[in-house]
Amino acid sequence: MLLSQNQKDRFMDIVVYAILSLILVSVLYPFYYVLILSFNRGTDALLGGVYLWPRTFTFENYARLLSDSHWYLAFLVTVARTVVGAALGVLFTCLVAYGLAHRDLLFRKSYFTIIIFAMYFSGGLIPYYVVLRGLGLLNTFGVYVVPSMLSTFFLLIAISFFREIPVELKESAFMDGAGELKIYFRIILPVSMPLIATMSLFMGVGQWNAWLDSAYFVRSEGLRTLAYRMMEVINKSNAPLDAIAAGQRDAAGVTSYSLQVAAMVISIAPIVCVYPFLQKYFVQGVMLGAVKG
Amino acid sequence: MELNTQATETSGLHAGRSELWKRFKKQKTLHLFVGLGMIFLLIFAYTPMFGILMAFKNYSISTGIAGIFTSDWVGLKHFNEFVNDYQFGRIVRNTLMLSLLKVIFTFPAPILLAILLNEVRHMAFKRFVQTVSYLPHFISWVVVSGIAFAFFSADVGMVNMALLKLGWIDRPLDILTNPNYFWGFAVGSAVWKEMGWWTIIFLAAIAGIDPSLYEAAQIDGAGRLARIRHITFPGMKGTIVVVLILTIGSILGGGLVGSNFEQAYLFGNSINNETSEIVQTYAFKIGLRDGRFSYAAAIDLIQSVISVILIFSSNYIAKRTSGSGLF
Repeated sequence: MLLSQNQKDRFMDIVVYAILSLILVSVLYPFYYVLILSFNRGTDALLGGVYLWPRTFTFENYARLLSDSHWYLAFLVTVARTVVGAALGVLFTCLVAYGLAHRDLLFRKSYFTIIIFAMYFSGGLIPYYVVLRGLGLLNTFGVYVVPSMLSTFFLLIAISFFREIPVELKESAFMDGAGELKIYFRIILPVSMPLIATMSLFMGVGQWNAWLDSAYFVRSEGLRTLAYRMMEVINKSNAPLDAIAAGQRDAAGVTSYSLQVAAMVISIAPIVCVYPFLQKYFVQGVMLGAVKG
Repeated sequence: MELNTQATETSGLHAGRSELWKRFKKQKTLHLFVGLGMIFLLIFAYTPMFGILMAFKNYSISTGIAGIFTSDWVGLKHFNEFVNDYQFGRIVRNTLMLSLLKVIFTFPAPILLAILLNEVRHMAFKRFVQTVSYLPHFISWVVVSGIAFAFFSADVGMVNMALLKLGWIDRPLDILTNPNYFWGFAVGSAVWKEMGWWTIIFLAAIAGIDPSLYEAAQIDGAGRLARIRHITFPGMKGTIVVVLILTIGSILGGGLVGSNFEQAYLFGNSINNETSEIVQTYAFKIGLRDGRFSYAAAIDLIQSVISVILIFSSNYIAKRTSGSGLF
């Protein structure tokens, strides 16, 4: 027997909503689970059976995390690189973009060729390491924020954004005797807030999540980032020989596993907090990226 | 509207040398800005490209950047060594399989999700699902591996503990350590993390479809499935081609759904090494951990060359078949 069009549509609605609800739960629940686990006594969590809310509520995991100098320092380093890295990245990338946005700039074509080529080709990790070593950047805070000062991707986006700025704005400032640097800071940047917001967000999130540069280029323990520290703990407890490490406990019922979970929440929290307000910028960003593609 | 350095445009044709110099002097501050950027690229992008030379040389790290040029040539010695390495076959197989499986399974996922979301008439629900679905994109792979550990680890993983309690299994599943599970796990976590993000771009493509097409189809008696097949899907085709080219071009690095290196490094361990060791993790270990820079650079270079070939050939094929490519 054939189903009527209406019944078919009804059936499809059910399927669509069921699949989407499943996706919704599969994305949200892991975050929720990690959150409740971080508020659960560490030793108790090892027994299993914590699904919907903390069984033995405690702040001890966070208290321990913040009093542990390793984690605390990693947190500060990560905050510092996020702020400094995003600020440097936005200011420098936009400065270069401002120059290139002038259509009558001499040698414009050559400049662009240099940029596009650098976008598509790279020397790979090993020669890059050698260059950073030569510059004396290894094992310094600078290795986190200097190589990311110029993003070729955002450079192209910023250039197309600046080109939309009415030329009269610049000309009137020129008449008043303002120099290029002054025009950049006083006129161009203030009218480019949507661009700056998008760039700061993407660069900030990238800096906040970064751990590879810490693994590649840094040996000093005092310069480790939050994500790197987490990676260390997870890797350790993943290796079966160290499985006992997850069970190491102390009087307050804190285990290295519960510390790790609390650290994960601290790492996710800022992103989730800015997320609802700024997601329109995220979406703009991916669309801009698509245009470039 | 556009930015100009001067109000009156000088004619480029008759501009003599002195004229050009005058223009340049007028623009000198701007050239300084751009020049700083070029110096930056010279240092951080172009010097490493010259560094590729070390793959054909006996480079020693103590000689610094200059050593790249002064060290002795050894031709293809390092490449030969890699090909004859007892791990060569395994590493190449893992790299290719991981890349291929990720493209096959993660590429269609956002397209399907976009189509599903487009079928939802309840706007609030649609927006909520979409917003939630791309949250994982902004979380680092480290946190994703931490979440994976919390769910699937043999000791403390929630899934294992729950299944044991239910009596469905006798001993914990070794999902994170068994080499047989690694590829599937890498693909699954990549879908989880990046599916929502790429849905944004496909939904934008759907939004560009003329609504009157749907109305006309409905009048003609087309059901919902028929409308998806004949209107929604063809409307996304251009975007699908572009994203596919981008994906294939970056396939060895992990496509658009998260880096192979991060996955192999974070989910890899001494037990699932059999399937989790890829070219990039091997080059990292050989180079930065063991200090064999020339050898590691050679391994890296092989992967880069294959990637460049893939970019150009996928672009070429796209141009021939659909008339549109990236460049």
